[in-house]
Amino acid sequence: MTRWGMVIDLDRCTACQACVVACRVENNAPPSGPEFAHQGRDISWIRLGSIKHEEAGNRPGLSLAPLPCMHCENPPCVHVCPTHATTIDEEGMVAQVPARCIGCRYCTTACPYTVRQFNWRLGQWPAPLDQGRNPDVSIRPRGVVEKCTFCAHRLQRARDRARYEGRELEPDEYVPACVESCPAEAMFFGDLDDPHSEVARQAASPRAFRLMEELGTRPKVIYLSKGE
Amino acid sequence: MPESNRRASKEQPGSGFLAPCLATGLLFFVAGGAYGFLTGDNFRRQPIEQPIAFNHRLHVEEQGLDCEDCHPGCRSEVKPGIPDADTCLMCHAEAQGDSGEEARLVAMLARGESPAWRPLFRQPPHVFFSHRRHTAVAELDCGECHGDIGSSTTPPRLPDKLRMDDCRDCHLERGVSVSCSACHR
Repeated sequence: MTRWGMVIDLDRCTACQACVVACRVENNAPPSGPEFAHQGRDISWIRLGSIKHEEAGNRPGLSLAPLPCMHCENPPCVHVCPTHATTIDEEGMVAQVPARCIGCRYCTTACPYTVRQFNWRLGQWPAPLDQGRNPDVSIRPRGVVEKCTFCAHRLQRARDRARYEGRELEPDEYVPACVESCPAEAMFFGDLDDPHSEVARQAASPRAFRLMEELGTRPKVIYLSKGE
Repeated sequence: MPESNRRASKEQPGSGFLAPCLATGLLFFVAGGAYGFLTGDNFRRQPIEQPIAFNHRLHVEEQGLDCEDCHPGCRSEVKPGIPDADTCLMCHAEAQGDSGEEARLVAMLARGESPAWRPLFRQPPHVFFSHRRHTAVAELDCGECHGDIGSSTTPPRLPDKLRMDDCRDCHLERGVSVSCSACHR
Protein backbone atom coordinates (compact mmCIF):
# COMPACT_ATOMS: atom_id res chain seq x y z
CA MET A 1 0.00 0.00 0.00
CA THR A 2 1.18 3.46 -0.77
CA ARG A 3 2.05 5.61 2.20
CA TRP A 4 2.74 9.17 1.12
CA GLY A 5 5.36 11.03 3.09
CA MET A 6 7.74 13.94 2.96
CA VAL A 7 11.34 14.46 3.93
CA ILE A 8 12.67 17.96 4.66
CA ASP A 9 16.43 18.32 4.79
CA LEU A 10 17.18 21.17 7.20
CA ASP A 11 20.77 21.23 6.01
CA ARG A 12 19.60 22.31 2.59
CA CYS A 13 16.62 24.47 3.59
CA THR A 14 17.46 28.15 3.46
CA ALA A 15 14.13 29.26 4.94
CA CYS A 16 13.38 31.21 1.77
CA GLN A 17 9.62 30.54 2.06
CA ALA A 18 9.16 29.65 -1.60
CA CYS A 19 7.15 26.66 -0.34
CA VAL A 20 4.90 28.96 1.65
CA VAL A 21 4.17 31.12 -1.39
CA ALA A 22 3.68 28.13 -3.69
CA CYS A 23 1.28 26.54 -1.23
CA ARG A 24 -0.78 29.69 -0.87
CA VAL A 25 -1.17 30.03 -4.61
CA GLU A 26 -1.87 26.35 -5.19
CA ASN A 27 -4.43 26.02 -2.43
CA ASN A 28 -6.27 29.33 -2.74
CA ALA A 29 -5.16 30.76 0.58
CA PRO A 30 -6.62 34.26 0.54
CA PRO A 31 -4.37 37.29 1.03
CA SER A 32 -5.01 38.57 4.52
CA GLY A 33 -3.38 41.97 4.95
CA PRO A 34 -1.26 43.19 7.86
CA GLU A 35 -4.07 43.72 10.38
CA PHE A 36 -5.53 40.29 9.96
CA ALA A 37 -2.12 38.67 9.99
CA HIS A 38 -1.25 40.56 13.17
CA GLN A 39 -4.30 39.00 14.83
CA GLY A 40 -2.85 35.63 13.94
CA ARG A 41 -5.72 34.84 11.58
CA ASP A 42 -3.76 34.53 8.38
CA ILE A 43 -4.26 31.21 6.63
CA SER A 44 -1.17 29.39 5.47
CA TRP A 45 -1.07 25.63 5.16
CA ILE A 46 2.69 25.57 5.43
CA ARG A 47 4.71 28.10 7.38
CA LEU A 48 8.12 28.44 8.90
CA GLY A 49 8.33 27.13 12.42
CA SER A 50 11.15 28.23 14.65
CA ILE A 51 13.21 25.85 16.73
CA LYS A 52 15.18 27.40 19.57
CA HIS A 53 18.37 25.75 20.69
CA GLU A 54 21.64 26.68 22.28
CA GLU A 55 24.01 28.91 20.42
CA ALA A 56 27.15 27.07 19.60
CA GLY A 57 30.16 28.65 17.94
CA ASN A 58 28.94 30.55 14.93
CA ARG A 59 25.62 28.74 14.92
CA PRO A 60 22.69 31.03 15.82
CA GLY A 61 20.26 30.07 18.54
CA LEU A 62 17.28 29.80 16.24
CA SER A 63 16.63 27.67 13.22
CA LEU A 64 13.66 27.75 10.94
CA ALA A 65 11.91 24.79 9.38
CA PRO A 66 8.96 24.48 7.00
CA LEU A 67 5.98 23.19 8.94
CA PRO A 68 3.29 21.54 6.85
CA CYS A 69 0.68 19.14 8.23
CA MET A 70 2.58 16.12 9.51
CA HIS A 71 -0.08 13.69 8.23
CA CYS A 72 0.36 11.63 11.38
CA GLU A 73 -0.39 7.94 11.24
CA ASN A 74 -2.05 8.34 14.61
CA PRO A 75 -3.60 11.78 14.11
CA PRO A 76 -4.99 13.42 17.25
CA CYS A 77 -7.17 15.71 15.13
CA VAL A 78 -9.03 12.76 13.62
CA HIS A 79 -9.66 11.28 17.04
CA VAL A 80 -11.26 14.43 18.43
CA CYS A 81 -13.33 15.53 15.41
CA PRO A 82 -16.99 15.12 16.37
CA THR A 83 -18.30 15.24 12.80
CA HIS A 84 -15.77 13.12 10.89
CA ALA A 85 -14.82 16.23 8.96
CA THR A 86 -11.24 15.14 9.17
CA THR A 87 -10.31 11.60 8.28
CA ILE A 88 -7.25 9.57 7.48
CA ASP A 89 -7.53 7.61 4.26
CA GLU A 90 -6.03 4.31 3.24
CA GLU A 91 -2.91 5.99 1.87
CA GLY A 92 -2.25 7.83 5.10
CA MET A 93 -3.36 11.26 3.99
CA VAL A 94 -5.18 13.24 6.63
CA ALA A 95 -7.96 14.97 4.75
CA GLN A 96 -10.22 17.80 5.81
CA VAL A 97 -13.71 18.23 4.41
CA PRO A 98 -14.59 21.88 5.05
CA ALA A 99 -18.26 21.37 4.23
CA ARG A 100 -18.57 18.89 7.06
CA CYS A 101 -16.65 20.98 9.60
CA ILE A 102 -18.70 22.77 12.26
CA GLY A 103 -15.82 24.96 13.37
CA CYS A 104 -15.58 23.64 16.94
CA ARG A 105 -11.79 23.81 16.76
CA TYR A 106 -11.19 20.71 18.85
CA CYS A 107 -8.70 19.69 16.17
CA THR A 108 -6.75 22.93 16.23
CA THR A 109 -6.36 22.38 19.96
CA ALA A 110 -5.52 18.71 19.61
CA CYS A 111 -2.88 19.18 16.93
CA PRO A 112 0.49 19.40 18.67
CA TYR A 113 2.06 20.92 15.57
CA THR A 114 -0.43 23.82 15.40
CA VAL A 115 -0.77 23.44 11.65
CA ARG A 116 -4.56 23.59 11.59
CA GLN A 117 -6.10 26.97 11.10
CA PHE A 118 -9.52 28.37 11.67
CA ASN A 119 -11.09 30.40 8.92
CA TRP A 120 -12.21 33.68 10.42
CA ARG A 121 -13.68 35.11 7.24
CA LEU A 122 -14.47 34.22 3.68
CA GLY A 123 -11.42 34.83 1.53
CA GLN A 124 -11.34 37.96 -0.58
CA TRP A 125 -9.07 38.38 -3.55
CA PRO A 126 -8.50 41.86 -4.95
CA ALA A 127 -8.50 41.97 -8.75
CA PRO A 128 -6.64 40.61 -10.64
CA LEU A 129 -5.70 37.97 -8.06
CA ASP A 130 -9.24 36.58 -8.19
CA GLN A 131 -8.51 35.40 -11.72
CA GLY A 132 -5.61 33.29 -10.56
CA ARG A 133 -7.32 30.90 -8.20
CA ASN A 134 -6.88 27.18 -8.59
CA PRO A 135 -10.12 25.63 -9.85
CA ASP A 136 -9.13 22.26 -8.39
CA VAL A 137 -9.31 23.52 -4.82
CA SER A 138 -12.43 24.87 -3.16
CA ILE A 139 -12.80 28.26 -1.55
CA ARG A 140 -13.35 27.47 2.08
CA PRO A 141 -16.30 29.10 3.80
CA ARG A 142 -16.01 31.14 6.98
CA GLY A 143 -16.03 29.29 10.27
CA VAL A 144 -14.30 26.07 9.27
CA VAL A 145 -10.88 24.65 9.97
CA GLU A 146 -8.51 23.98 7.12
CA LYS A 147 -5.12 22.41 6.68
CA CYS A 148 -2.52 21.03 4.30
CA THR A 149 -3.79 18.14 2.19
CA PHE A 150 -0.45 17.13 0.64
CA CYS A 151 -2.06 18.64 -2.50
CA ALA A 152 -4.39 15.64 -2.79
CA HIS A 153 -5.93 17.17 -5.93
CA ARG A 154 -2.57 16.78 -7.65
CA LEU A 155 -2.51 13.09 -6.81
CA GLN A 156 -5.98 12.71 -8.22
CA ARG A 157 -5.06 14.52 -11.41
CA ALA A 158 -1.89 12.50 -11.87
CA ARG A 159 -3.69 9.24 -11.17
CA ASP A 160 -6.45 10.13 -13.63
CA ARG A 161 -3.91 10.87 -16.32
CA ALA A 162 -2.10 7.59 -15.69
CA ARG A 163 -5.31 5.57 -15.73
CA TYR A 164 -6.49 7.35 -18.84
CA GLU A 165 -3.24 6.40 -20.57
CA GLY A 166 -3.52 2.87 -19.18
CA ARG A 167 -0.35 2.77 -17.11
CA GLU A 168 0.83 2.85 -13.53
CA LEU A 169 1.46 6.12 -11.70
CA GLU A 170 5.13 7.10 -12.04
CA PRO A 171 6.80 8.02 -8.73
CA ASP A 172 7.71 11.55 -9.82
CA GLU A 173 4.31 12.35 -11.30
CA TYR A 174 2.83 13.51 -8.06
CA VAL A 175 4.51 16.02 -5.78
CA PRO A 176 2.87 18.74 -3.69
CA ALA A 177 3.37 22.36 -4.70
CA CYS A 178 5.80 23.08 -1.85
CA VAL A 179 8.13 20.27 -2.87
CA GLU A 180 7.94 21.28 -6.50
CA SER A 181 8.82 24.88 -5.70
CA CYS A 182 11.76 24.29 -3.34
CA PRO A 183 14.76 25.96 -5.02
CA ALA A 184 17.23 24.34 -2.63
CA GLU A 185 15.85 20.87 -3.32
CA ALA A 186 15.48 20.38 0.39
CA MET A 187 12.12 18.63 0.18
CA PHE A 188 11.43 15.10 -1.00
CA PHE A 189 8.10 13.50 -1.48
CA GLY A 190 6.94 10.02 -2.33
CA ASP A 191 5.91 6.61 -1.11
CA LEU A 192 7.54 5.77 2.21
CA ASP A 193 6.64 2.10 1.75
CA ASP A 194 8.46 1.82 -1.55
CA PRO A 195 12.05 0.85 -0.60
CA HIS A 196 13.38 2.18 -3.91
CA SER A 197 11.90 5.65 -3.55
CA GLU A 198 14.12 8.64 -2.84
CA VAL A 199 11.94 9.62 0.08
CA ALA A 200 12.29 6.19 1.74
CA ARG A 201 16.06 6.32 1.24
CA GLN A 202 16.24 9.78 2.82
CA ALA A 203 13.96 8.76 5.67
CA ALA A 204 16.36 5.97 6.57
CA SER A 205 19.20 8.48 7.04
CA PRO A 206 20.75 8.62 10.52
CA ARG A 207 19.94 12.33 10.53
CA ALA A 208 16.22 11.62 10.28
CA PHE A 209 13.92 12.67 13.11
CA ARG A 210 10.24 13.45 13.52
CA LEU A 211 8.80 16.35 15.45
CA MET A 212 7.53 15.48 18.93
CA GLU A 213 8.06 11.80 18.38
CA GLU A 214 7.41 11.15 22.05
CA LEU A 215 3.71 11.92 21.59
CA GLY A 216 3.17 8.82 19.51
CA THR A 217 1.54 10.65 16.61
CA ARG A 218 3.95 9.03 14.13
CA PRO A 219 4.25 11.90 11.63
CA LYS A 220 4.89 11.17 7.96
CA VAL A 221 6.86 14.37 7.57
CA ILE A 222 10.42 13.52 8.44
CA TYR A 223 13.15 16.06 9.04
CA LEU A 224 16.85 15.59 8.47
CA SER A 225 18.76 17.43 11.16
CA LYS A 226 21.56 19.83 10.36
CA GLY A 227 24.81 17.95 9.99
CA GLU A 228 27.60 18.89 12.32
CA MET B 1 -49.22 46.35 51.32
CA PRO B 2 -47.70 47.94 48.25
CA GLU B 3 -45.61 44.81 47.70
CA SER B 4 -48.52 42.39 47.69
CA ASN B 5 -50.41 44.77 45.40
CA ARG B 6 -47.62 44.67 42.90
CA ARG B 7 -47.46 40.91 43.00
CA ALA B 8 -51.17 40.63 42.42
CA SER B 9 -51.12 43.02 39.48
CA LYS B 10 -48.24 41.02 37.99
CA GLU B 11 -49.99 37.70 38.27
CA GLN B 12 -53.37 38.67 36.95
CA PRO B 13 -52.44 39.75 33.41
CA GLY B 14 -49.86 36.93 33.27
CA SER B 15 -52.35 34.13 33.78
CA GLY B 16 -54.86 35.66 31.38
CA PHE B 17 -52.40 36.02 28.53
CA LEU B 18 -50.49 32.83 28.94
CA ALA B 19 -52.97 30.40 27.41
CA PRO B 20 -53.73 32.35 24.18
CA CYS B 21 -50.04 33.14 23.77
CA LEU B 22 -49.11 29.49 24.05
CA ALA B 23 -51.91 28.46 21.72
CA THR B 24 -50.90 30.99 19.07
CA GLY B 25 -47.26 29.99 19.42
CA LEU B 26 -48.12 26.33 19.04
CA LEU B 27 -50.31 27.08 16.01
CA PHE B 28 -47.48 28.96 14.28
CA PHE B 29 -45.04 26.23 15.22
CA VAL B 30 -47.19 23.45 13.78
CA ALA B 31 -48.23 25.44 10.70
CA GLY B 32 -44.63 26.46 9.98
CA GLY B 33 -43.41 22.92 10.41
CA ALA B 34 -46.12 21.53 8.15
CA TYR B 35 -45.46 24.17 5.50
CA GLY B 36 -41.75 23.46 5.59
CA PHE B 37 -42.31 19.72 5.49
CA LEU B 38 -44.69 19.90 2.54
CA THR B 39 -42.87 22.47 0.45
CA GLY B 40 -39.25 22.15 1.56
CA ASP B 41 -38.31 20.03 -1.39
CA ASN B 42 -39.70 22.59 -3.81
CA PHE B 43 -37.47 25.27 -2.39
CA ARG B 44 -34.47 23.12 -3.06
CA ARG B 45 -35.67 21.97 -6.45
CA GLN B 46 -37.06 24.89 -8.37
CA PRO B 47 -38.78 23.83 -11.59
CA ILE B 48 -36.62 24.40 -14.61
CA GLU B 49 -37.86 26.10 -17.74
CA GLN B 50 -35.69 25.44 -20.77
CA PRO B 51 -35.66 27.96 -23.61
CA ILE B 52 -36.55 25.22 -26.12
CA ALA B 53 -38.26 21.91 -25.31
CA PHE B 54 -35.35 19.83 -26.51
CA ASN B 55 -36.17 16.30 -27.64
CA HIS B 56 -33.31 14.01 -26.66
CA ARG B 57 -34.89 10.90 -28.16
CA LEU B 58 -35.20 12.47 -31.59
CA HIS B 59 -31.51 13.36 -31.59
CA VAL B 60 -30.04 10.29 -29.92
CA GLU B 61 -32.26 7.39 -30.97
CA GLU B 62 -33.65 8.57 -34.29
CA GLN B 63 -30.77 10.66 -35.63
CA GLY B 64 -28.09 8.51 -34.03
CA LEU B 65 -26.12 11.35 -32.49
CA ASP B 66 -23.65 10.61 -29.73
CA CYS B 67 -23.69 12.47 -26.38
CA GLU B 68 -20.27 13.85 -27.28
CA ASP B 69 -21.59 15.54 -30.43
CA CYS B 70 -23.38 18.19 -28.38
CA HIS B 71 -21.65 17.83 -24.99
CA PRO B 72 -18.06 17.92 -26.25
CA GLY B 73 -16.36 17.49 -22.89
CA CYS B 74 -18.37 14.57 -21.58
CA ARG B 75 -15.52 12.12 -22.10
CA SER B 76 -12.51 14.40 -22.15
CA GLU B 77 -13.13 17.19 -19.63
CA VAL B 78 -14.24 17.76 -16.06
CA LYS B 79 -17.36 19.51 -17.28
CA PRO B 80 -19.26 18.09 -20.25
CA GLY B 81 -20.28 21.44 -21.67
CA ILE B 82 -23.69 22.61 -22.71
CA PRO B 83 -24.21 23.16 -26.44
CA ASP B 84 -23.94 26.73 -27.66
CA ALA B 85 -25.40 28.34 -30.77
CA ASP B 86 -22.56 27.08 -32.99
CA THR B 87 -23.31 23.49 -32.03
CA CYS B 88 -26.99 23.86 -32.92
CA LEU B 89 -26.13 25.73 -36.12
CA MET B 90 -24.21 22.74 -37.45
CA CYS B 91 -27.59 21.24 -38.32
CA HIS B 92 -30.23 23.85 -37.63
CA ALA B 93 -29.25 26.79 -39.84
CA GLU B 94 -32.53 25.97 -41.50
CA ALA B 95 -35.39 23.80 -40.30
CA GLN B 96 -34.85 20.05 -40.54
CA GLY B 97 -38.41 19.06 -39.66
CA ASP B 98 -41.76 20.64 -39.01
CA SER B 99 -41.78 20.94 -35.22
CA GLY B 100 -42.75 24.25 -33.65
CA GLU B 101 -39.91 24.07 -31.16
CA GLU B 102 -37.41 23.71 -33.95
CA ALA B 103 -38.91 26.70 -35.74
CA ARG B 104 -38.41 28.71 -32.56
CA LEU B 105 -34.81 27.53 -32.34
CA VAL B 106 -34.11 28.43 -35.96
CA ALA B 107 -35.61 31.88 -35.43
CA MET B 108 -33.56 32.31 -32.27
CA LEU B 109 -30.37 31.31 -34.05
CA ALA B 110 -31.21 33.61 -36.98
CA ARG B 111 -31.42 36.51 -34.51
CA GLY B 112 -27.92 35.61 -33.38
CA GLU B 113 -29.09 34.43 -29.98
CA SER B 114 -27.83 31.38 -28.19
CA PRO B 115 -30.38 29.26 -26.34
CA ALA B 116 -29.72 29.71 -22.62
CA TRP B 117 -29.91 26.08 -21.56
CA ARG B 118 -30.26 25.60 -17.85
CA PRO B 119 -28.32 22.82 -16.17
CA LEU B 120 -30.27 20.01 -14.55
CA PHE B 121 -27.49 18.91 -12.27
CA ARG B 122 -25.65 21.22 -10.00
CA GLN B 123 -23.05 20.42 -7.42
CA PRO B 124 -22.22 22.30 -4.29
CA PRO B 125 -18.86 24.07 -4.61
CA HIS B 126 -17.05 21.63 -2.34
CA VAL B 127 -17.85 18.63 -4.55
CA PHE B 128 -15.35 17.90 -7.28
CA PHE B 129 -16.77 15.62 -9.93
CA SER B 130 -14.91 14.92 -13.13
CA HIS B 131 -16.83 13.60 -16.13
CA ARG B 132 -13.65 12.37 -17.75
CA ARG B 133 -12.76 10.32 -14.69
CA HIS B 134 -16.10 8.54 -14.84
CA THR B 135 -16.70 8.20 -18.58
CA ALA B 136 -13.23 7.81 -20.07
CA VAL B 137 -11.26 6.30 -17.20
CA ALA B 138 -13.93 4.20 -15.49
CA GLU B 139 -15.82 3.72 -18.78
CA LEU B 140 -19.23 4.26 -17.27
CA ASP B 141 -22.23 4.80 -19.46
CA CYS B 142 -23.73 8.31 -19.24
CA GLY B 143 -27.02 6.73 -18.20
CA GLU B 144 -25.52 5.38 -14.97
CA CYS B 145 -26.01 8.83 -13.47
CA HIS B 146 -28.20 10.60 -16.01
CA GLY B 147 -30.82 7.89 -16.26
CA ASP B 148 -32.71 7.53 -19.52
CA ILE B 149 -32.45 11.20 -20.46
CA GLY B 150 -31.34 10.03 -23.91
CA SER B 151 -34.81 8.70 -24.61
CA SER B 152 -36.80 11.59 -23.14
CA THR B 153 -38.93 13.63 -25.51
CA THR B 154 -39.29 16.75 -23.35
CA PRO B 155 -36.85 18.24 -20.87
CA PRO B 156 -37.40 17.18 -17.24
CA ARG B 157 -39.25 19.79 -15.24
CA LEU B 158 -37.35 19.20 -12.05
CA PRO B 159 -33.62 18.82 -11.65
CA ASP B 160 -32.52 15.30 -10.98
CA LYS B 161 -31.51 14.35 -7.50
CA LEU B 162 -28.08 12.91 -7.04
CA ARG B 163 -27.14 12.40 -3.46
CA MET B 164 -23.87 11.47 -1.86
CA ASP B 165 -25.37 8.12 -0.96
CA ASP B 166 -25.87 7.38 -4.66
CA CYS B 167 -22.21 8.14 -5.34
CA ARG B 168 -21.10 6.14 -2.36
CA ASP B 169 -23.24 3.09 -3.17
CA CYS B 170 -21.80 2.95 -6.67
CA HIS B 171 -18.25 3.42 -5.40
CA LEU B 172 -18.64 0.63 -2.84
CA GLU B 173 -20.24 -1.66 -5.40
CA ARG B 174 -17.33 -1.20 -7.79
CA GLY B 175 -14.65 -1.21 -5.12
CA VAL B 176 -13.37 2.30 -5.81
CA SER B 177 -12.21 4.81 -3.23
CA VAL B 178 -14.76 6.20 -0.80
CA SER B 179 -12.17 8.40 0.85
CA CYS B 180 -13.66 11.84 1.57
CA SER B 181 -10.84 13.67 -0.15
CA ALA B 182 -11.54 11.81 -3.40
CA CYS B 183 -14.54 14.11 -3.98
CA HIS B 184 -14.50 16.81 -1.30
CA ARG B 185 -11.88 19.51 -0.91
